[in-house]
Amino acid sequence: MSECKKFKKDFVAFLSKELDEEKEKLLQSHLDRCPGCKREMAQLEKFMKGAESLKMDIEQAMEAVDWEELPRKVAENVFKQEVFAPKEPWLARLSRFLSQPKLRPVYAGLLLGVLLGSLATYFVLRSPQLREARAARISVPSNFLESMELEMARRETLNYLEKSQYLLLDFVQSPSEKSAEFWQSDFASQKARELLAKKKYIDPQLDKYQMAKAKIICDQIELLFYELSQISVKLSAEEIEKIQKWIEEKQILLKIDLLKKELGKSEV
Amino acid sequence: MIKERLDENEDIHTLIERIKKGDREAFMTVTALYQKKVFLLAFSFFHNREDALDIVQETFLRLYQKVHLFRKGQNFQNWLLQIAKNLCIDFHRKTYSKSKDYDREKPIEEMNLALADEKDPYLSSDLRGIFSECLKKLATKQRLIFVMKHYNQLEYQEIAQILGIALGTVKSLHFKAVQNMRGLVAPYLGRRL
Repeated sequence: MSECKKFKKDFVAFLSKELDEEKEKLLQSHLDRCPGCKREMAQLEKFMKGAESLKMDIEQAMEAVDWEELPRKVAENVFKQEVFAPKEPWLARLSRFLSQPKLRPVYAGLLLGVLLGSLATYFVLRSPQLREARAARISVPSNFLESMELEMARRETLNYLEKSQYLLLDFVQSPSEKSAEFWQSDFASQKARELLAKKKYIDPQLDKYQMAKAKIICDQIELLFYELSQISVKLSAEEIEKIQKWIEEKQILLKIDLLKKELGKSEV
Repeated sequence: MIKERLDENEDIHTLIERIKKGDREAFMTVTALYQKKVFLLAFSFFHNREDALDIVQETFLRLYQKVHLFRKGQNFQNWLLQIAKNLCIDFHRKTYSKSKDYDREKPIEEMNLALADEKDPYLSSDLRGIFSECLKKLATKQRLIFVMKHYNQLEYQEIAQILGIALGTVKSLHFKAVQNMRGLVAPYLGRRL
């Protein structure tokens, strides 16, 4: 039964001769075996013939038309409405122009050019000589590096002097009885330690670039910090006052100022 | 006399190129070549000579207006019938959908059904009328496929191209159209076809 249902779907295509050879053979053999489907097919064929009968009406209608005259009439109406052939939209014209076969060699040439250009660029960029040349170009003259190092030393010294100046100012301006507490505070002792460490770092640079004046001042500051970091609660107020006086006598702060100005002027 | 067949060295694409340049003779030649095919489709669809002639006129006007859209390699007949099919659908929607009993000269119930008992009932004009009326009751797409298959003698593949649908859809719609037509015709014939 389900087999019949499956074949019935192809009955119309079979009568219209639209079935492929294999399906046609299968259906034919089914029709030979199944009287129900054979009967159904015969009825369908009859109906199809009935539908064909409409062709008589079509033929009659066609006979009544003057086919010789019709194209003239049609043309007359069409050309009356449109004197010139309608203009193609510019986009359609452009696409037609670009898609014409005679432009194919041009496109092929362009494509080849792009490919060759890409390949050439690729090989040129990855060639070892060029990389070497580029590496060589990076090398800079030795005096440039030297001046860079000098500038670094100058800046480091300036930074050291500035920080020292702030710390000494705090110390000098504080009353002598509170100075011991100041130096025992975490902040001041840490700063002093940092500055002592920094001094060790800038020492070789000061020697190398013969910044003698700066070296003298920096040595004095170093000594001072070393002394101050040793301060204990036992140190009397008189002794602290003595150190403060020494700073003033030696005009350490003024010297620092002058040196800073001098170093600032000699910027590389 | 206008040619109804193409010369050996003249193909449709040459004629189309000439039409694009506004060549009236070429336009008339193409009209003469394809007018019957368009008429056949429109007449089978509407079963009305005047309407079919209007469709022919309109189809060739559209051809002239849209000729630049036709590309080499396309099947010209299918392209033209596609225009005709669209016009049939538009015309049907605008004109016939307003009145269902638009051109029925004789109500279907009054047709001489006794003729069904004659030896060759399909020659009876009333029976042809029944077929024609039942055809009009089909859905537009089924009707177009039925007409194209039975009267324009087009293959499923061509119909699929003209309607812009899949081949499988054409097959199944044709099957449905035939089944529906049989159902519609059967009561008037007093027996199942």
